[in-house]
Amino acid sequence: MTANDMDVAQNQIGYLGQLVLGSRLSDMERLPVWVESLAATHGIAENVKFAINLCLEEVVSNVIRHGYRGKAEQLVTVQCTSPRAGYLVFTVDDDAAPFNPLAGTALPTIGEQDEGQIGGQGIRLLRGFAATLEYEARPAGNRLHIGFLNPARA
Amino acid sequence: MGIQTEELAPGINKVILDGSLDIAGAAAIDLRMNVIGGASKGLLVDLQKVTFIGSMGLRALVAPARAILGRKGKMVIFGPNELVEQVLKTSGIDTMIPVYHDYDAALAALQ
Repeated sequence: MTANDMDVAQNQIGYLGQLVLGSRLSDMERLPVWVESLAATHGIAENVKFAINLCLEEVVSNVIRHGYRGKAEQLVTVQCTSPRAGYLVFTVDDDAAPFNPLAGTALPTIGEQDEGQIGGQGIRLLRGFAATLEYEARPAGNRLHIGFLNPARA
Repeated sequence: MGIQTEELAPGINKVILDGSLDIAGAAAIDLRMNVIGGASKGLLVDLQKVTFIGSMGLRALVAPARAILGRKGKMVIFGPNELVEQVLKTSGIDTMIPVYHDYDAALAALQ
């Protein structure tokens, strides 16, 4: 890919790709591979790729562990779009019971937590690493839009 | 995910992690980290070669830290890259496990 091709790819608007995962945690191994491929094709900066992987790991693993609760043969769909140049949105769809992960308050930071309490950092990490977050209840499931700024290369 | 251990002094250990501390990476080191945490009064965790950390990776660090701190020991993190350190700070883990970029200072903090 030439530098010019890369510029064109980075400024591509609209639908960029989709990944459909099963409801086993082992299916998540495909996520970073897919993100890497998007990053290579669309010139996603290293720090943005890191943030995307972090947020998608949080959201998808929560759907699988808490939304589907080990139920087999369920699907999680992740779609990547670019509504405008330099802005990427990953939309995560599931068919689990309604749950808005943005409605709750974040738990104390790990350093402030009581002994025996570990975790609950997902929402804190999402808010820290995503540029935008938007929840939508679907008739049978949930949809979360996670936005990232991917500024054009200098 | 790679994990190497080294005894620096009796009860003082170093763990070198290498790779991505995602769900699979965290699962690969969890048990060993807990065993090391249970056997150390001082532990230096070298994250120089860790390229990614998610919340399961954080858990893999917090569990041994709790065990060590519970016995009045010390645990420190050495050398995370900028993005990994941003995750550590966002989660607040750095207030429980101090982060160092100077190796000698990290070692000294275990004394």
